[in-house]
Amino acid sequence: MTTTDTTAAAPSQPYRLTPAGILRSEWHKLWTLRTTWITLLTATALVLAVGITMGSTYDGDDSEVDTVVFVLFGTQLSQICLAVLGILVTAGEYATGMIRASLTAVPRRLPVLWSKAAVFTAVAFTLSLVTNVVTFLVAQIWLGGTDKELALTDPGVLGALTGSAAAITLLSLIALGLGALLRSVPGGIGAFVGAVLVLPEVLTTLPLDAVDTAVKYFPAQASSSLGSITRVENTIAPGAGLLSLALWAAAILTTAALLLRRRDV
Amino acid sequence: MIRAHGLTKRYGGKRPKTAVDDLTFEVRPGTVTGFLGPNGAGKSTTMRMLLGLDAPTAGRCTVGGRAYTAHSAPLTQVGALLEARSIHPGRSAYHHLMALAHTHGIPASRVRDVLDTTGLTDVAGRRVKGFSLGMGQRLGIAAALLGDPGTLILDEPVNGLDPEGVLWIRNLLKAQAAEGRTVLVSSHLMSEMAVTADHLIIIGRGRLLADTTVERFVRDSGTGSVKVVSPAAAHLSELLAGPAVTITSDTPGTLDVRGTDAEHIGRTAAAHAIPLFELTPQTASLEQAFMDLTHDSVEYVTSGPSLAGAAA
Repeated sequence: MTTTDTTAAAPSQPYRLTPAGILRSEWHKLWTLRTTWITLLTATALVLAVGITMGSTYDGDDSEVDTVVFVLFGTQLSQICLAVLGILVTAGEYATGMIRASLTAVPRRLPVLWSKAAVFTAVAFTLSLVTNVVTFLVAQIWLGGTDKELALTDPGVLGALTGSAAAITLLSLIALGLGALLRSVPGGIGAFVGAVLVLPEVLTTLPLDAVDTAVKYFPAQASSSLGSITRVENTIAPGAGLLSLALWAAAILTTAALLLRRRDV
Repeated sequence: MIRAHGLTKRYGGKRPKTAVDDLTFEVRPGTVTGFLGPNGAGKSTTMRMLLGLDAPTAGRCTVGGRAYTAHSAPLTQVGALLEARSIHPGRSAYHHLMALAHTHGIPASRVRDVLDTTGLTDVAGRRVKGFSLGMGQRLGIAAALLGDPGTLILDEPVNGLDPEGVLWIRNLLKAQAAEGRTVLVSSHLMSEMAVTADHLIIIGRGRLLADTTVERFVRDSGTGSVKVVSPAAAHLSELLAGPAVTITSDTPGTLDVRGTDAEHIGRTAAAHAIPLFELTPQTASLEQAFMDLTHDSVEYVTSGPSLAGAAA
């Protein structure tokens, strides 16, 4: 019986399921959808446009806001775009049924999630960093001669621009994890806006110091500790912020991975 | 080779619904095996379990000697077409296939090959959103063929195809089986399986009802009749009469003969120089036998005049 059991019909092939192949597949999937281009271009355009507006209309009124935070106000908007893209990368496959094709090709399942996360992280971080640097440089065209004049090489500037990109990326990665967890695009967006953006604000209204302290380590709050040259009031240290964000992302992706292994598709 | 042993799937918590109930069967290479059952019989669930998309509640199944998930190059083992759409409509046909191909290092030339085989070359660059049901099915079949697999598992592949497409699928399946591949194809249409499949696995309400060849199914069903038209129908009727043979006649000159086959009728007529205008084995009776077999296990029975009565 064992001899008839092998599928002798198929000739021996060089084709093999490999981690590199799965990464390539996810890279290919990401770039062959229009929504990817639209969300990424929108995210970039928003940061740049807001940065130019802030720079060109600045009249030197002693605003206390950190220069990097000041020119990157647009990241509040691009954050939403990138979070939505993160959710589409995972939950979008459930909405369309594509996940069944993906998991038939990769029946061990988890490499699909890791590859999605890796490709998305690389793209979101690279794009955010480039956008941040360009926006900073463009805004400086108008900010020269004001109290917000700074060069890229000034202490803390590159760190803040990178920190901002890392924060955006990790928050969007959390959104990607929520999409994988909830398997629904509206559900993912709702959970991201509700649990990550709104809930902490509600919690801080409670008259409990312990809650206030805890909330500082929540994803959105931890992310605001990154992305500035000088420490923003009421936030934890940038190192602690980065670590908290990374741990949140890891926890949500791990939960998504455990469920991905167990659930029927 | 596909093997299922005691395969069971139950859904739901407090009042679980059993979709697949202790199913044991084998699908052999070199033949087309039809997987038949009324809607809701558990065909799709069984196929999803074979592909590792659904986890069985009990039992196990293997493809090519191993659990599907244990293969190192699954697309080269099994090509699958699922009933539910599993394609992102925003991607073009070419990019859909290429994304799947990348996982296994399958080259673009192979993607173009399967697009060609399925007749999609001209629309390969178009987004799947604009595809008809039939084109979507063809793309699903292209994806199934991508890894040149030794086993094909196709869930209702003729759904939405035009007559030309149905014929194409039929020939494709037969050709794949003739090359020694294992082909499992589900359908709820007995008539389609009768002309495509060699072997039949029939289920109803998740249970195995029959595991047999098409030929044997027809023979054992005992309902195969032969329509005979002859100017000497009455005479022929007398000659054919016997204990196992029943002959009915609705219109003069036309006989409906059960209990013997067309060959015997033809020879008898020839031996007595009786001209025959028509001698037709009634394949519709196959559908009848299928309905008789699955009648007790259909999910939604219609009231009113029964189909079984109308067909007989």
